[in-house]
Amino acid sequence: MDMKTVKVRELRKLLDEKKVSAGELCEMCFSQIKAADDTYKCYITTTEEIAAEQAKKAQERIDRGESAPLTGIPFAIKDNICTDGVKTTCASKMLEDFVPPYNATVMEKLNEQDIVMLGKTSMDEFAMGGSTQTSAFAKTKNPFDPQRVPGGSSGGSASAVSLGMCAAALGSDTGGSIRQPAAFCGMTGMKPTYGRVSRYGLVAFASSLDQIGPMARDSHDCAVILNAICGFDPHDGTSSKNSVPDFTEKIGKSIKGMKIALPKEFFAEGIDGSIREAVMNAAHTYEELGAQLVECSMPSLKYAVPAYYLIACAEACSNLSRYDGIKYGHRSKVGDSYEELIMHSRAEGFGDEVKRRILLGNYALSSGYYDAYYGKAMALRQLIRQEYNDIFEKCDIILTPTTPTTAYRCDENISDPVKMYQADICTVTVNIAGLPGVSTPCGYDQKGLPIGMSVIGRHFDEATVIQAADAFEKTFERKAPRV
Amino acid sequence: MDLEMVKYLADLGKLYFSDEELEENSRQMTSIVELMDTIKEIDISYDPLKDNKNVYLPDLREDKSAPSMPTEKVLQNAVNSGSCFVVPKVVE
Repeated sequence: MDMKTVKVRELRKLLDEKKVSAGELCEMCFSQIKAADDTYKCYITTTEEIAAEQAKKAQERIDRGESAPLTGIPFAIKDNICTDGVKTTCASKMLEDFVPPYNATVMEKLNEQDIVMLGKTSMDEFAMGGSTQTSAFAKTKNPFDPQRVPGGSSGGSASAVSLGMCAAALGSDTGGSIRQPAAFCGMTGMKPTYGRVSRYGLVAFASSLDQIGPMARDSHDCAVILNAICGFDPHDGTSSKNSVPDFTEKIGKSIKGMKIALPKEFFAEGIDGSIREAVMNAAHTYEELGAQLVECSMPSLKYAVPAYYLIACAEACSNLSRYDGIKYGHRSKVGDSYEELIMHSRAEGFGDEVKRRILLGNYALSSGYYDAYYGKAMALRQLIRQEYNDIFEKCDIILTPTTPTTAYRCDENISDPVKMYQADICTVTVNIAGLPGVSTPCGYDQKGLPIGMSVIGRHFDEATVIQAADAFEKTFERKAPRV
Repeated sequence: MDLEMVKYLADLGKLYFSDEELEENSRQMTSIVELMDTIKEIDISYDPLKDNKNVYLPDLREDKSAPSMPTEKVLQNAVNSGSCFVVPKVVE
């Protein structure tokens, strides 16, 4: 069995038929972690002892014939999702020693199914970045070329799934942080509709945009995981009471007659030719499957990146004000007064990118600038939502590239924040509008690096997004990294 | 963005910067704000009545007490704590 390619459903079958045990699966993942994680740096913390105990408990449940869909499945968890008793650092010195006293709701839900947690994966500090190179502890590498970035911010989860260091993972997505690393690492990642999955226990970056989602080796696996983690949570006032379908129910059904929108701005200048070509080839595959392609326009896209950064940073500077060095988090030894203690604790604990975003958020919200920046960004948010609504009046899903380029070298872009921000152009509008979207591989460039396409759906219509992504995946030959 | 503005924003964010860090941030924030300024060219305004369409606030929960976290768990990540959070002296 190749841990880099085996699906969660296949593992379920093997476990239930006793062809492999939960303990053996856990060991196989740890042997891959020991062999490759020094190079790829996917994990910040591994939890081998806890995993062995969880595997034992899962196996007992399997032996009783009571397994749930994820019982015994080895998972990696992004290090901004709180895990009771296991360090949750957000890849920041600020939370280097933080041990949450509670589980995030998604962890409670996964534990109810008796998953096996292998550890906590690296990310950009506080999820602020698209490269995982702002991590204070583990600058994760791309599984297809360790000289390149895995994307971010959920780069550790994406790379770990791609390299077989787990069977699936959880990530979080504020402006593309699940979908962009999924594209760079040649695997599948899903951002559910805002409100579909509880954010309780997800360390907050931008509360109106953040969403937890699954990362796996295809859309069907993502649907199985989404089934487990979604639903209303009284601990999260923005989680939805909408009914929850079985997200696998439309898989395999014909997409004949499905209307697929192609907004021309997503295929314009600035998008690499190889990416445009791969996504258009995917569109033609859909046509061959009986879908109808519809050209459309989203004029507000040119303002999406600044609108996103103004909203996200405004929320971030408020959310991050909780780090004072007193209740939890890094506490400076410098500073005699209350004020000085806070200022030095934050200066020592936060990295450069986090500080920049706090500055930008304060700028956007400060007196004299509020209307011109935050107010205008909120107006753009309404316009972007309206443009999506208009498209969804005529179409069922939208198809776009996930990224303008394939994975870049670790020494490129990193020192230029503006370049880094502009690279988010294809993903941020989905968060701004609160829509569900999945990124899945649709090609490889001349260097053999994966190309991702995004399927975007109506609010709470993840089932159609998964149906469409799965229909394409069945026609596409995915490559695993050669490690 | 000039140094005075960066210093003002840093104070708002309770961030200590050295002089060199202030200079570097001034340079980088200037390019970031240039990118943000592109939204000034579109003439639209925010309509608060249309807002929060994608925030599905459920019914407010019932106002009744529920178990809370034990004190030792709340304090487990605080430095120098006994049975309370410890801060530098704030009164003379």
